[in-house]
Amino acid sequence: MLSFIIRRLLITIPTILVVITITWVLIRLAPGNFYSGEKRIPPAIEKNIREKYGLDKPWYQQYGKTMAGILRLDFGTSLKYEGQSVNAIIARSLPVSATIGILAYLLALVVGISVGSIAALKQNSKWDYASMALAMVGISVPNFVLGPILVLIFSLTLYWLPPSRWAGFPSRNLILPVLTLSAIYMAYIARLTRAGMLEVLRSDYIRTARSKGLSEKDVVVRHGLRGGLLPVVSYTGPALAFLLTGTVVVERIFALPGLGNYFIQASLNRDEPLIIGIVAFIAITLLVMNLLVDIAYAYLDPRIRY
Amino acid sequence: MIILRTRLDGAALVALMSLVLATVSCQVIAQNEEFFGKTTPPARNILRYINGDEPESLDPPISSGQPEARIFIALYEGLVEYDPKTLEPVPAIAERWDVNNDSSEYVFHLRHDARWSNGDPIGADDFVYSFRRSLSPQLASRNAYLAYYIKYGQAYNEGAVFVRDLQTGQFLLERDFANSDQNIPESLSQKSLADGQPEYKSSQPAQETAFHKFMHSPARLTLPGSEKARNKLLEGNTKLQTAVTGKQFVPVSGEDIGIEAVDPYTVRLSLSQPAPYFSGLLAHQLFRVVPRKVIEKYGEHWTEASHIVTSGAFKVKAWRPYSELVVERNPFYWDAANVKLEEIHFYTTQDNPTAMNLYKVGEADAVLNHTVPNPWLDVVRSKKDYMDGAEATIVYILINVTKPPMNDLRVRRAFNMAIDKVTYSLSRRITKPLSAFTPEGIFAGYPQPKGEPFNPEQARRLLGEAGFPVTQKADGSFECPKFPLDEVEYVFNTQSSNRTMAEFFQAQWKQNLGITVPLRSMEFRTFLNVRAKLEYKGFAQGIWGADYMDPFTFLNLFSTPTGDNGSGWWDQRYSDMLNEANRTLDKQRRYELMAKAEKFLLDAQPIIPIETSATNWVKKPYVKGMYPNAGSLFPWKFVYIERDPAKWDYGVPAMAD
Repeated sequence: MLSFIIRRLLITIPTILVVITITWVLIRLAPGNFYSGEKRIPPAIEKNIREKYGLDKPWYQQYGKTMAGILRLDFGTSLKYEGQSVNAIIARSLPVSATIGILAYLLALVVGISVGSIAALKQNSKWDYASMALAMVGISVPNFVLGPILVLIFSLTLYWLPPSRWAGFPSRNLILPVLTLSAIYMAYIARLTRAGMLEVLRSDYIRTARSKGLSEKDVVVRHGLRGGLLPVVSYTGPALAFLLTGTVVVERIFALPGLGNYFIQASLNRDEPLIIGIVAFIAITLLVMNLLVDIAYAYLDPRIRY
Repeated sequence: MIILRTRLDGAALVALMSLVLATVSCQVIAQNEEFFGKTTPPARNILRYINGDEPESLDPPISSGQPEARIFIALYEGLVEYDPKTLEPVPAIAERWDVNNDSSEYVFHLRHDARWSNGDPIGADDFVYSFRRSLSPQLASRNAYLAYYIKYGQAYNEGAVFVRDLQTGQFLLERDFANSDQNIPESLSQKSLADGQPEYKSSQPAQETAFHKFMHSPARLTLPGSEKARNKLLEGNTKLQTAVTGKQFVPVSGEDIGIEAVDPYTVRLSLSQPAPYFSGLLAHQLFRVVPRKVIEKYGEHWTEASHIVTSGAFKVKAWRPYSELVVERNPFYWDAANVKLEEIHFYTTQDNPTAMNLYKVGEADAVLNHTVPNPWLDVVRSKKDYMDGAEATIVYILINVTKPPMNDLRVRRAFNMAIDKVTYSLSRRITKPLSAFTPEGIFAGYPQPKGEPFNPEQARRLLGEAGFPVTQKADGSFECPKFPLDEVEYVFNTQSSNRTMAEFFQAQWKQNLGITVPLRSMEFRTFLNVRAKLEYKGFAQGIWGADYMDPFTFLNLFSTPTGDNGSGWWDQRYSDMLNEANRTLDKQRRYELMAKAEKFLLDAQPIIPIETSATNWVKKPYVKGMYPNAGSLFPWKFVYIERDPAKWDYGVPAMAD
């Protein structure tokens, strides 16, 4: 097990370097610059800017500088936001994204697993159809539609909840973004749970458990869920990685100072150090989450050994 | 069967949801209120303003955007401040100023009680430092070009060098190498003081100094600082090459530029040309005063909340990036007694509906310009908190006059007359049709000339005269078979709203002239290059926003053949007219001369005017002292919260004094 983890971590390093190199190239291929605005910049002023940020140097020097920084885990200073270090920006915006993301995923887990289990246990009942229809809607309605609808109802018409902005944790401002964000995950988890549970409940070892006289509750919770949740677990890794590192749409609609908002803005601004910093961070998170999922698999499924 | 039942459930659910939505939206539309959303004033004197994009930096010369400009007005003060309605310069740290007889030299008299937010006094030296810093090539400000009017300012910013003769110690002079065909008269600020010509109407407003004499000596020759660029320039000019050989190159330094602290409270600015609009430019962030001590101590981190020291009516209280910037009243500000707001919260929001939502529920008191989304206009425009005003930005079409068939004035006029700008503005809903090259309804007293109106018949006639007869087909539509379609195109930068606009022009020309001009979109920077180098045929999209509140900021585009001109049209007579206008001290007379130049430009038709932008924002009726001015820039010290509904603004507040 330990050697497996070490091996996986070692593969992570070249993977991230490749991801960063590709990003670095793509930024250079994309048209536009961080300093281009609405008006034409006189050539002499453009020259001053390029000298100030070292853009007049040959490409291998620029690439070397970026890579050297990354190996020291120092992503440099944002080009657009003068004097703000990329590390500080990530450290500041990650908690916002993570708060919303974790709350949304917890909500999705609780609701999704309960609804999915009930649907599986009462297959082909009214409960089953109603919850699966709702899940279908949850998956089909994108969050940039759901968010504004929730805002329209609960903020603009009923004046119950604030329509947007970050006010720390805990606060009433969190309710709408968390609901919006969790809807699709809730629906997905409900469907995964239902499918997983249906398969497990028909399997031989559940029949064995039942036949040895275990109560229905023990059968479902101790044996059924453990196997039935495997699809949910493998889904959790990438889902949580994306939720942690920010969701562009929800952060935009609700004006949250999270990582996703920075990411989209950095790309639009062609803010190279910030883009590379965030991409590297997302890549690391994703790889670590996948590793955690694999470890959890080994724990949940007795057949898997590394 | 199972599938069917599920579908039924789903359908029922969708039906239910649409019902809920319909009810809610009916409720929203049915609200027949005077204002858009809640109108309860905040408990304290705090203004919550939705400011748009995240500020790039709190360092004034660094950022160029409008959101930052609004923040800098709160935090930093300059020699002058914007008037809240007209944006014309009003006294700020400078109590008053003198202008010389051709607007090429300014003397500013500073108030003695101006202070930094840490209590230290602000004096003339602080302005000298700030101006030099803004122009320094190391700071690399994008706005530096605005200060190029200052003598040697451009040379310093471009890293240029003077040329000195080592034997005599004399510098080479510009006039000895100038092109003989350019005979721009020397401005007063360049003439030798020994001439004895009276420079100011009354007596000299500030004492004589050695630096002033230096400014008044003939302009020195400047050459590019980089050896490569310099050699390239010298190659083509043997006279210059011989003169330069064996001489010493002296870099232009910050000490050489035309700003001087004559005494602790007097600042003298020497310009390289007459610029009557320059005092209006001085309210721009590039010229606001910044604290030398703090900057030298903390470097680029000086703007962090724990270090920053400001000169304006407000100081930084808290900065939560991408969320809000909170500023509070600066107790050391010289006019603090008249600043009514305790705090301003600048919110960062890029999403227009999000901004409007916050406004409607009463969590924001005002929003930035261009925020009301088009589909909301029907509801919001009828409310009394909608702020409609002309904006100092124009949209126009550039014509490349260097290539046939567009080098024929008749063809250019025909294409102008074939676009119905009134209908276009109606379809855009908030903008105003434009028939000149300066925005309409902004410069009070400016006798703006009018270009030719929409007239498709005359347009067809003109095309015919130019050798491209337009004929009517049996179905009533027009065709122009002789027109060389592969010689024209309309280029614009990629953006969906630009395409909509391009398609409108294309349809108008097709309908009225029978000519289908091909459209070509390109990425913004490529587009700017193609336009500047005239690498397009026919038409290109143009948009220009004012740098300062004077018609000259628009007319100036065509005073040189290069830069932002983009049409290839240039006429010495036009430049002379503008130069004459700028030498004229009397404002009305100057306006008339500029209007004459504008008429000359419109007659030559290197452009097709399209529209003047509109402000399009909302503010709560209890927010007073805020006006829909042409730049959406607000001197916050005049803004306050009014708690008596009788004194609220019901509609756009009066803009005339």
